[in-house]
Amino acid sequence: MDRKGQQRLDTALWVLLFAGMLLALYMALLGAPREKTMGDVQRIFYFHVPAGIAGLSAFAINFAASLMYLLKKNRRWDHLALAAAETGMVLMAIVLVTGPIWAKYAWLVWWTWSPRLTSSLVLWLLYAAYLLTRNYIADPERKAFASAVFGIVAFVDAPLVWFSIRWWRDLHPSPMLETGGLAPEMRPALWVCIAAYMLLLLFLVRRRYYLECARRDVELLARRVGS
Amino acid sequence: MAGKIWAVFHKDLLVEMRTKDSLNIMVFFGVVVLVVFNFALAGARESVRAAVPGVLWVSFAFSGTLGLNRMFASEKENGCLQGLLMLPVDRGVVYLGKMLAASLFMLVTEAVLFVLALVFFNLQVWEEIPYLALVFVVGTLGFSAVGTLLSAVAANTRMREVLLPLILFPVILPILVHAVEATGIILNSGDYAALKLPLSVMGAFTVIFGTLSYLLFDFVLED
Amino acid sequence: MGPNPLTYLFAAYAAIWIILALFLYSIHAREKKLREEIEGLKRALER
Repeated sequence: MDRKGQQRLDTALWVLLFAGMLLALYMALLGAPREKTMGDVQRIFYFHVPAGIAGLSAFAINFAASLMYLLKKNRRWDHLALAAAETGMVLMAIVLVTGPIWAKYAWLVWWTWSPRLTSSLVLWLLYAAYLLTRNYIADPERKAFASAVFGIVAFVDAPLVWFSIRWWRDLHPSPMLETGGLAPEMRPALWVCIAAYMLLLLFLVRRRYYLECARRDVELLARRVGS
Repeated sequence: MAGKIWAVFHKDLLVEMRTKDSLNIMVFFGVVVLVVFNFALAGARESVRAAVPGVLWVSFAFSGTLGLNRMFASEKENGCLQGLLMLPVDRGVVYLGKMLAASLFMLVTEAVLFVLALVFFNLQVWEEIPYLALVFVVGTLGFSAVGTLLSAVAANTRMREVLLPLILFPVILPILVHAVEATGIILNSGDYAALKLPLSVMGAFTVIFGTLSYLLFDFVLED
Repeated sequence: MGPNPLTYLFAAYAAIWIILALFLYSIHAREKKLREEIEGLKRALER
């Protein structure tokens, strides 16, 4: 796609994201019905869960990009993997901050070791480990290989982590239950918010990807000019 | 192929037998961790037996990580890795040999630490030993299955000793959770039928990551 | 009467805004640095 086309797509995406987020905000705060037991604070849920779903999708993008890098050895896959990992970390950070805020209100404790929150924490730690590995390798090619390997390991590990935490939780239950089923009237709002967050994911990964491509291009150029 | 795996395994074994460096460090650190836990759990004297599985596996994991750190560190220092890579063997074979060596060293360490834990925490175990051995073996294999790969990843970086625990611990969480529960079942409840699930998950983890690491090892070794 | 429940709602939404803003700012700052580097390269090439 040429430059003009890119710019038009960027603008379209930006407009779509802006409108989507505005609509999501409306649905979460006004469109969705008021929850019986927890009242309006439950509305945190409409941004907490979609952020988690988008964060998981970012993880999946990182996995696919890591795999493609190992197969094709084209550095653009590495740039995409990095962009997905950073975006995923940001989205998981949202989950990890909004979760405790809700928990403090609903159950008077900041942390509950619930399966979802704990898995989000471990996932966040895996992303952090991915970024740390990248940080401490200087050579770009080795960095790409090492982090691709770790990205694949982390993604394969994630379901095992989820399962293990859930199993452990079943053995050591706590009085705090996470909101299970969702009333059907709440579903439209949730879907709108999920869509908005997926757009956010797309937007952020794209932005970060182009930054990384540009950064690397400039780096290579600087090396040529310097020599 | 088994012969080549044995060759790699045997070499690591011989090197270790000559100096016993790794084993010394691993056991020593494991003992330190056990002692620290004694003080950490001072307030919970009565329920110490309940905490023993967790204490054991934490000390196993920490000393295991130390052992893994050294695995590629000494090779890099002495340039042995180059020699190893020039052999006409599939990289996956190198992985398996190293993984088995790491597992053996860890198991020896675990045996020593376990006996010490019996003494420190005043435990009586006899019939439980075969079951414990099974859990230790499967858990250790799973740990080194992914630990060997990640150790090679970390060995390529500037901060290898610091980086390995950071990237390893989140990944081996499933092993830890199931191993601690399984050990707890054996020591505290005696309901051996309940061991089926954790052992299966640990076994699945080992197979999945053993295979994955075997396939991915190529990409991590320096050339 | 405890704290106003809407405080929690506000805190959550504020946190989301702040986290996203920090990330977008970080991208923006890195882009700026890149642009400066490109300028420097251009000048070096003209010589």
